[in-house]
Amino acid sequence: MINLVSALGGQLLQRLALLGQALLMLLQSLRVLPGKHGLSRLIQQLYVVGVQSLIIMLVSALFIGMVLGLQGYTLLSAYGSEQAVGQMVALTLVRELSPVVAALLFAGRAGSALTAEIGLMKATEQLASLEMFGVDPLHRIVAPRFLAGLICLPLLVAIFSLVGIYGGHIVAVDWLGVYSGSYWGNMQQAVDFGEDVINGMIKALVFAFVVSWIALYQGYSCVPTSQGISAATTRTVVYSSLAILGFDFILTALMFGGA
Amino acid sequence: MAVNGIIEIHNLSFFRGNRAIFKDIDVSIAAGKITVIMGPSGTGKTTLLRLIGGQLQPHRGEVQLFGENIAQLNRKQLNQLRGRMGVLFQSGALFTDLTVFENVAFPLREHTQLNDMQLHDRVLLKLEAVGLRGARDLMPSHLSGGMARRVALARAVALEPEIILYDEPFAGQDPIAMAVLQRLIKDLNDEMRLTSVLVSHDIAEACAIADRIILLGEGRVLAHDTPEALQTSTDPAVRQFMHGEADGVIPFHFPAPPLAEELLCDHASVADNRGGLQ
Repeated sequence: MINLVSALGGQLLQRLALLGQALLMLLQSLRVLPGKHGLSRLIQQLYVVGVQSLIIMLVSALFIGMVLGLQGYTLLSAYGSEQAVGQMVALTLVRELSPVVAALLFAGRAGSALTAEIGLMKATEQLASLEMFGVDPLHRIVAPRFLAGLICLPLLVAIFSLVGIYGGHIVAVDWLGVYSGSYWGNMQQAVDFGEDVINGMIKALVFAFVVSWIALYQGYSCVPTSQGISAATTRTVVYSSLAILGFDFILTALMFGGA
Repeated sequence: MAVNGIIEIHNLSFFRGNRAIFKDIDVSIAAGKITVIMGPSGTGKTTLLRLIGGQLQPHRGEVQLFGENIAQLNRKQLNQLRGRMGVLFQSGALFTDLTVFENVAFPLREHTQLNDMQLHDRVLLKLEAVGLRGARDLMPSHLSGGMARRVALARAVALEPEIILYDEPFAGQDPIAMAVLQRLIKDLNDEMRLTSVLVSHDIAEACAIADRIILLGEGRVLAHDTPEALQTSTDPAVRQFMHGEADGVIPFHFPAPPLAEELLCDHASVADNRGGLQ
């Protein structure tokens, strides 16, 4: 019994120490604000992390919107209220699906790539070599990638919602004949900017922080061998996904729970 | 304490877990010479190089570079000191997202205020010295292993350092590339009045260029002398290493309990070990 408790305690302490290390890495990398060259590195990372994730986001958003339109229509038309499909699609996307699905895709597409890239830089001694040139790899490599993640994911989430709503429109209005005016009108009436859109964006920002942080820490701290990098990449996707879903529940409870 | 070497190591101890890599070693490396650190695999040659570069901190003792104890320097001072030191990593460690030209230009952009013309000239001169001026627009992924190492060498000397550390420069090179590198290292050392420290286990190459050889083994310095003296040494461990003898005082086996004991053990534990590959 005592052994079990002490083993559990040891595990907990170890986890806490890792968390502390990860926090230190983040603080140290953001200690100095990026200068003039930092901006061009940031823009480069915005391209890699954000623009290159666009295609997967657009395609997924379109299909998810179409599925929502179809499901919403089937469900609502049983009660004769298929006019409300627009508001259902929009609220589902803006409040929940866009932040969560976009963040999950982001973890799989951009997070894993970040981990692998930094892990490989470590394995090929590029990080050590930066250090020997008197350049802090945290500042040079980690910081721009973190900021890029923080900026990109909320933007991708916004795009995700837009495209999803359009996907719902294609199915519900163009194919199933819901009146276009009520699709948009009900949506406009039901979706509140502060309550729904801003809260969704807050979720996106939290997920962006968590996913980028996990991905960069896993890459930076990985064992610099092929197994080590592969394990770190897997951990990035697994931990990010769990963190996204866990935080989503907490944030939803905080934002929409009381009302 | 009189400081005479450009690199001075005093009473240094370093541990990985419970295993002592170094136990109270003293090393003094003279300026302007080529010193080769040799020893069997796993004796901490690369670790010693990292301790000298300040990338690892010793658990006991101190490392002095240019007369300064690097453990007592702050980050800025350490970075300044690193500007006077070049490192050639085992893999070359070229930045894979930059061209050959930009790789060599990197330390210059970080540490100097050269304008574009001066930078361009300096980079081309360094690339010319390693015979790769024509490869300046290539990406590192398009270089052979030997070429990558030469580019890395050009990058390491771009700032005209006083000390250059080489981690296994000859490992995995074909005989021609090896000879080219060997000549480059020697020429650079003589022309730029560098202090070169190499890690190697290639005895022939090391003896050909070394002024001094430091032989490491079992956590201590087995010998520190000229190649000629080591070749004729009567110390059994030195002899065994220098002449590449399989049998001798340096054990071939990783530490383990006696074989008879393991073969006669109860076989339940063997069953436990099975399935690892299934």
